[in-house]
Amino acid sequence: MKRSVGQILGRTGIRIPLILWSLAVLYPIFWMFLGAFKSNAEIYRNPWGFPESFSFDNFVTAWTNYNIDVSVFNSLIVTVVGAVLTLVLAIPTAYAIERINFRGSKILFTVYVSAMMIPMVLGWIPLFFLLSDLGLLDNIYGLAIVYAVSQLPFSIFVLTSFIGTIPRSLEESAAMDGMSPYKVLWKIITPLSMSGIITVTIMNAIQFWNEYFMALIFLNSSENYTLALAIDFISSEAQYTNAWGTLFAGLVIAIVPVIILYAIFQRRISKGMTEGAIKG
Amino acid sequence: MVQSKKQKYLFLAFCLIPTFILFAIFTLYPLFSGLYYSFFDWSGSSQNKDFVGLANYIKLVKDAIIPNTIIHDYFLVATKVIGIMVMALFFAVALTQLKIKEAPFYRIVFFFPNIMSVVVIGILWTFIYNPNLGLVNSGLEFIGLESLAKPWLGDEDWALPSLVLPSVWAGIGLFMLLLMGGISNVSKSYYEAAELDGASEWQQFWKVTLPLIWPQVKISILYIVITTLNGSFIIVQVMTGGGPNNATHVMGSYLYQQAFVQYNFGYGATIGVMILIISLLTVLILQFIMRRDKVEY
Repeated sequence: MKRSVGQILGRTGIRIPLILWSLAVLYPIFWMFLGAFKSNAEIYRNPWGFPESFSFDNFVTAWTNYNIDVSVFNSLIVTVVGAVLTLVLAIPTAYAIERINFRGSKILFTVYVSAMMIPMVLGWIPLFFLLSDLGLLDNIYGLAIVYAVSQLPFSIFVLTSFIGTIPRSLEESAAMDGMSPYKVLWKIITPLSMSGIITVTIMNAIQFWNEYFMALIFLNSSENYTLALAIDFISSEAQYTNAWGTLFAGLVIAIVPVIILYAIFQRRISKGMTEGAIKG
Repeated sequence: MVQSKKQKYLFLAFCLIPTFILFAIFTLYPLFSGLYYSFFDWSGSSQNKDFVGLANYIKLVKDAIIPNTIIHDYFLVATKVIGIMVMALFFAVALTQLKIKEAPFYRIVFFFPNIMSVVVIGILWTFIYNPNLGLVNSGLEFIGLESLAKPWLGDEDWALPSLVLPSVWAGIGLFMLLLMGGISNVSKSYYEAAELDGASEWQQFWKVTLPLIWPQVKISILYIVITTLNGSFIIVQVMTGGGPNNATHVMGSYLYQQAFVQYNFGYGATIGVMILIISLLTVLILQFIMRRDKVEY
């Protein structure tokens, strides 16, 4: 079929908003990277252009003067411990809800899923004192536990649907061969739902790496700061010190792991998030 | 399965109980004791915890800042729903209906801000709005409109609207993908039939696409509303801290200030109860308004 001139024009026209929005998304991010390599003087002279020469001074300053090294380490611990703990807690529950008949399984699932709709900010006040009583306030492991529990509803929700796709016959024949239910869960269910486990883990890890507000409330001392808090601190300092270059270096350090994960798992992440949203 | 009842229950307990105990301690208990704390005047230390009945709720009703925080929250809800839905719908239709070769590129780029940390987004945009160095004022100057340049986040009238753009910027990708999922499930034959009947592309959108992806539109709107009411305070905290002069305080950031900055924990909990009630009521009402029979042709 021959396309009319109007159609061709329309097709080009439709690209204009798409290209403009791509620029609106990419330019600030790109520019943040450039800023991380500029000196402060140059940021003032030429905030939105290319750097004259690439220098790593900002990264060095952030790393040494603002303890970013400690924050990166703290964020890594919170992310890894939180993500592993979420799995340990969520997989057995998801399996039991999906595959074992017991009274109240529907109610239990509803309780977990509806927790996704509740504004947790009300709970943060008592949680603050609870953590304080348990000696887990201002403690990155305490924060990791809070993170893990906060992502339980989402993780259980996604994992039950993945476990639901595993054929029952596999478990049944394993049980016939005398395999205990614990072994079935560990040797059959876990490997077969690996795809779901990976999706959930990446989503949770990104969430924990990025999280800001609970860290703000539950951590006080700077040696326990996660990356989000450290950057926020540099940002509030920069109002007075104008250390914008250092701030951009901090932002770059925070965003690079997310970019790498997105580059590798782009499909999984976007699918995981849209499915998480459809839960309602 | 060949196993005794006792074994079955032991396994069930192993699967469910440890998880539920942690969930109860770190999610259920804090929510319910938040309700309980709202009846106390409490500055954090255990000695000074006085039962005051409904005094905090009376204070809440009389607090002149509270109505503003609610209005600010709904302002963000309304502008975000409109901004995100209009643009996400447009992009979703453009990327699915018109055969654009580089569509995957746009999909990947538009989604990326959704997985950025709110801190990074907030700081990045604070700099974009920076009065001297920022992109917005430089851009206005460049096109000769320097009279419109202003300290966006420091201006009482403009600070709140300035928070909308970063939120829309960060949100579009997810909802675009959600809507694209809906559109790609619509059978091609509907469009062919519509075309035979001489319907323009615009009519096709209103008469075919929109009714058939209504479930996805509804979910998207509800999701934006819930996440805004429950989480708008994070970007507020990063970008303005509620200022200037309370002009950007939303319910959650006001709770944070009352509880964790001024140590009025009882009153903070009362604000939390208000957030819970407002957010649940809003969702219920919205679901009622948007209920619409499933369309099938």
